[in-house]
Amino acid sequence: MNIVVCIKQVPDIEAPARLEGGELKPDMSRMVLNAYDASAVEAALVLTEKHGGEVSLLLAGPESASETIRKALAMGAHRALHIVTDISPDEMDSANSAILLAEALKKMEFDFVFCGKQSQDSDAGLAGAMIAQKLGVPFVGNATALEWSEEELVVTRQDDRGRERIALPSPGLVTCSNDMNEPRIAGLRGIMQAKSKPLETTPVSELGLSAAELKARTVVRSVEEKPGRQAGVKLEGEPEELVREMFRLLPEEYLNE
Amino acid sequence: MSEWVVVCLDSRDGEISASTLSWVRECQSRAQQAGYQTGALVIGPGSKERIEKLEGAGLSRIWRVQSEALESPLNAPHLQAIEQALRTIAPKAAVFPSSESSREMLGALASALDAPALPDLVSYSFTEEGAEGKRPVMASRFLARVSADGTPVLLSVRPGSSTAPPAGGPVPLPEPEIIEVKHPDRDRTARLLEQLMPDGQRTNLAEAEKIVAAGRGVRDPEGVQLIEELAGLLNASIGASRALTESGVFDPSLQIGQTGKVVSPRLYIAVGISGAIQHVAGMINSDFIVAINRDPDAPIFDIADIGLVGDLYKILPLLIEELKKRGGDG
Amino acid sequence: MDDTFDCIIVGGGVAGLSAAMTLARSGLSFLLVERGEFPGAKNVSGGILWGEDLSRLVPGFETEEAGWERYINHRRLSFLDSQSAFSLDFKSERFDTPPWTGISVLRSRFDRWLAEKTEAAISEGPAAGSSLIATGILVDEILIEEGRAVGIRAGGESFPARSVILAEGVNNLLTRQVGLQHSRVPDDSMLTGVKEIIRFDRQVLENRFQLRGQSGVTYEFVGDSTLGVEGGGFLYTNRDSVSIGLVLGLHDLREKGHKPYDILSRFKEHPVIRDMIAGGETVEYSSHVVSSGDRNLIPKELCMDGLLVCGEAAHLLMNNGRAIQGMDFAMRSGMLAAETILEAHEAQDFGLPVLKGYQKKLDESFVMKQINGFQGAVELLHDPVLYRKVPPLLCSFGQKYFSVRNEPSRKARRLFAESVKEHASWREMIQVGIKGLRSL
Repeated sequence: MNIVVCIKQVPDIEAPARLEGGELKPDMSRMVLNAYDASAVEAALVLTEKHGGEVSLLLAGPESASETIRKALAMGAHRALHIVTDISPDEMDSANSAILLAEALKKMEFDFVFCGKQSQDSDAGLAGAMIAQKLGVPFVGNATALEWSEEELVVTRQDDRGRERIALPSPGLVTCSNDMNEPRIAGLRGIMQAKSKPLETTPVSELGLSAAELKARTVVRSVEEKPGRQAGVKLEGEPEELVREMFRLLPEEYLNE
Repeated sequence: MSEWVVVCLDSRDGEISASTLSWVRECQSRAQQAGYQTGALVIGPGSKERIEKLEGAGLSRIWRVQSEALESPLNAPHLQAIEQALRTIAPKAAVFPSSESSREMLGALASALDAPALPDLVSYSFTEEGAEGKRPVMASRFLARVSADGTPVLLSVRPGSSTAPPAGGPVPLPEPEIIEVKHPDRDRTARLLEQLMPDGQRTNLAEAEKIVAAGRGVRDPEGVQLIEELAGLLNASIGASRALTESGVFDPSLQIGQTGKVVSPRLYIAVGISGAIQHVAGMINSDFIVAINRDPDAPIFDIADIGLVGDLYKILPLLIEELKKRGGDG
Repeated sequence: MDDTFDCIIVGGGVAGLSAAMTLARSGLSFLLVERGEFPGAKNVSGGILWGEDLSRLVPGFETEEAGWERYINHRRLSFLDSQSAFSLDFKSERFDTPPWTGISVLRSRFDRWLAEKTEAAISEGPAAGSSLIATGILVDEILIEEGRAVGIRAGGESFPARSVILAEGVNNLLTRQVGLQHSRVPDDSMLTGVKEIIRFDRQVLENRFQLRGQSGVTYEFVGDSTLGVEGGGFLYTNRDSVSIGLVLGLHDLREKGHKPYDILSRFKEHPVIRDMIAGGETVEYSSHVVSSGDRNLIPKELCMDGLLVCGEAAHLLMNNGRAIQGMDFAMRSGMLAAETILEAHEAQDFGLPVLKGYQKKLDESFVMKQINGFQGAVELLHDPVLYRKVPPLLCSFGQKYFSVRNEPSRKARRLFAESVKEHASWREMIQVGIKGLRSL
């Protein structure tokens, strides 16, 4: 079974980020593999290690994102394709990413495509479904477990409506939740091997998309600080005192129906 | 006037609750400001009573799509139905309640209809060209002001972010119009094997008024029992941090955070939760936050209205006792 | 490809990267392992990189608007009492032309930039396919066979090498593992550095500190900045922020029961400091342990069969009162270690006799000359008279000397004598004076 995992380089959400004139300036020195994508890579590796096949990575992003690709290769993926774009992150909306990735996928051979269910910086969660729709393949979102069973992928998915087990035929697409696994951390051997794994690059121009197709449909106008929450009172002392004080301070209305 | 904003209500989301109703009203008033009329697209099986709950939301039209295929919990038939309905109605905008499930619907519809999509908005308005709004990014540390041009523009909007005034006087509910949809047979499609959590067991954390949430500090069955007892006395729903749903102590559907549910109750009691940004992203909009944690430096105290520094195993029993006393008095 | 590296470098800080950069240009195959997610990730400090070695390592860096913060053309040493500052100040246009005497850097940015330069040097160098930098890797131990370092073990796997350079920093566990540092370092030889980065609008910063283009200042403070704890304060300018902090004796800190952060908060409220940082926004706080730079901490041997130690792992660091020198020592010692490895490679012999050349190079370089020459100054800094009594004395003198009243002014000599009486004794002053003169 051959799996293509779509990955994205994103800012580390725990790193300091600041605003400058309504523009978000994340710490560009702390760009990482999207955590949800790391779960997708891990899931693909586990499946292929057990049932055979290869894992390819696909990323659309600036040249500097190759560092993130190497990290995912070091986890154990076999090869990677990097669509090199100089489209600025603000111009690159979900639909834009999906177009680039879907176009590249049309030229690749795969049984399944795995994506992270959302990207940790924008939290949009649209791209996976968009790619599936563009490829015309069935998809399941929010997967929390995957098994291979007689030519089908058995996907357990979970969302706020409930939990189901779904059989997904090949070719199909799955978006992965980070509840699915704990992504492995690349070891030194993996990092050394990653250096000699094939990493192909292709400029966006070679995908044969028109400027109109590549125009972002949504725009981030500005970014603002979320209205902060003030820290209230912090009570320390004996438990009895704490509870008494809490009931004194907690407005009655919050306890009532 | 013939331009429409359509609110899309999926039967898989269950009954139309008071908060859904106020969410619909909010949308109606936003549409009105922009000079559009509002209708509801009700998808899937559902009783007449269910639709009657929409009374007073200021809706001018109601469309229904019903078919056997829509009894499935799977997305594919619903996507086909909504896509066809939206092609028929040709609205300016279609608005979905934001949830984990609606994101992938939004993405697929955006591709199918070649329409722009703005997911997970906390505030929004309709514009001449489409829509604009604000949505949290970077684990809810920032708000991005986003806009999209195109027709129809697809939005998903968080419940609980509405401040709509009650509709002015009773508006009679229009008679539902049926839209016929086809479900083309595809030979290669996802197949439901098993529904692991039936509808009845579903909790509706997103709409809960009070939540008692447990984190890593709740480390044994005794702790879980204390949480359950406290929630019972307060008539609150139970939530959990990722640490506890992952270790299997609580059901994954109870997870609150960047992954999981985004909640905005009036009262949020965080027990043994340190307050990692991924968790905070899911509960920062609570009206009043009480935090109980042993570590005085836990980041949860930076956002709590009342913070109790101490051992939850000592504090919760006292809290429960006091609540019982109060319950007895009243 | 032979899977034995010519050299494995442990640590991706200034010392390790300088060694790597030197090797990258030579054609030797090497592996640099860094435990942080990227070089600089584990390094929250910043400071001044003194000297001219960087222009040898990265020729033309002066024209790049990346990696480094500001070049230093203005320095000031201030003695503080609770309300005043008595300062020695030097600024010169001569410092404006490269090679510069020093640049300010923020390590997380600088190390990463230096690593990128090193990556570039690898891919342009003669051993492009066989050398690499690996991050996020913790080295478990150095492999030793018959008294010779033969590689490293990481994640339970062994990686062979003909030589090893240890550049692991102050927490030098591997240096201890191989037996080059025997004793536990006493905590009175260690310092705690606490630092905040305060961000300003660039224009505000440049106006306030009279900066032009990329020029920058360093201020050092002695006296009423540490709640009586041994140590001193500093402030220097970055591109759009200042780094402000204290270096405090770990032992004295524990003895007096103060928390470094509390002392820093108080330091920031000092009237002289307050005016410098008003209106800025604190964006980062960090604290870390540094070596005091006492010569006695430097291991007797910095090499063994197949292995060299450089940078702060070897306690090559100096705090002479004018400046904390460390990064320049790290850079030079890394370069010298790599040059020695190159010679050993040439001779096809990585044994101790050849590697001893490193020790010799180091002794002949400014590194050991500085450290040996300024041992007196290091000891002087530990003298409570200097950090507790001299600053109020000077400030009291300054106040008298600079006050102008409608009465006949008195001779400076008499004013000074008065201040000495108020704050110390002539005996103490003469002792400190002698120590000070010796250390110069």
